Amino acid sequence: MNDSLKVKTSDIERLVKASQAGDRGAFDEIIRLYQRRAMQIAVRMLGNANEAAEAVQSGFVKAYLNINKLREPKRFEAWFFRIVTNTAISQRRAAKRRAEKIKIAESYDGKKALSPVEDRIGEELKEAIQRAILKLSKKQAKAIALFGIEDLPREKVAEIMGCSAEAVKWHVFKARQKLRVLLKEYLE
Amino acid sequence: MACVQGKAKTKGITERVSGMKKSNEDIDLLLERNAAEQLDRFDWDEFGATISRRLNQAQQSKTSGIRFPTIFKIAAGFIAAAAIVFIAVMVKTDAPMTVRFDNGPGAVVKLVESKGSATVEILDSKGQDNQSSNRSSWIIIRTRESKVADNGQSRDEADFACLM
Repeated sequence: MNDSLKVKTSDIERLVKASQAGDRGAFDEIIRLYQRRAMQIAVRMLGNANEAAEAVQSGFVKAYLNINKLREPKRFEAWFFRIVTNTAISQRRAAKRRAEKIKIAESYDGKKALSPVEDRIGEELKEAIQRAILKLSKKQAKAIALFGIEDLPREKVAEIMGCSAEAVKWHVFKARQKLRVLLKEYLE
Repeated sequence: MACVQGKAKTKGITERVSGMKKSNEDIDLLLERNAAEQLDRFDWDEFGATISRRLNQAQQSKTSGIRFPTIFKIAAGFIAAAAIVFIAVMVKTDAPMTVRFDNGPGAVVKLVESKGSATVEILDSKGQDNQSSNRSSWIIIRTRESKVADNGQSRDEADFACLM
């Protein structure tokens, strides 16, 4: 992937205006520029790359269909990440159900014990992280996911979440507190 | 003594804070590593192809969504107009009401015709006229009377008409 994490505001403004004028190529360029960061956010919110991919793809489709409603092209980033986080939130219930199903299936699956120990521990940890993330409240999940993204200042996180920077800090604090308890055995 | 206690307290708080900081860092690191590991093995080409396909589908449905509403609006207009005309005709037409034949208790044949608020019943008696071999019948007309008719002079007229 050759997409840079930092996107110039002037570039994005130009691309958004072109997309609004019906230039599909410009929107493809937007996808290329934002797909990695959107996936990072969604994975941090859903704990699983496949679930995240579904949310990000839906997010891009929603953005594409509604791009003409965006009045200030320079604010695309916050607008788009809001779409992605909201889509991920609405997908959390289904993700929770699937995670529980996997957990039940694994408890009956004898083959699991035959896999290499390191892999098994890795998978186990991943599933534990996913279950823990899915237990956070919507705001906590959004805050902890956005907070850890490189080049995303706290003010921008607040703008995406539609709350104050202090509220973001509070949600991050509560999320960490909850995760500390839920992932206690893996943190020691 | 108080100074020593104060220093110990400060040291405890500092340790707790640094412990919490460490714990926060550990959680952040865990989330970071989990995301990074999952995305390292992620198939970006397949992801890009799926988005492209979904955008094409969305674009197609958007285009057809723009083209079809006018057609749907015209069709819906026609259907609504036809429905209004149909209802108006039905209301205005003085078509006969449903006639229902019914076998009631004590009657061989009971014809019931309801029109407005009147009911007509024809009752065949079981007795037979020996000379003409015709059977006698009763016709009963039941009708709701208005309050005025119920108490006024027209009541007798209505009753008389019913008897006839």
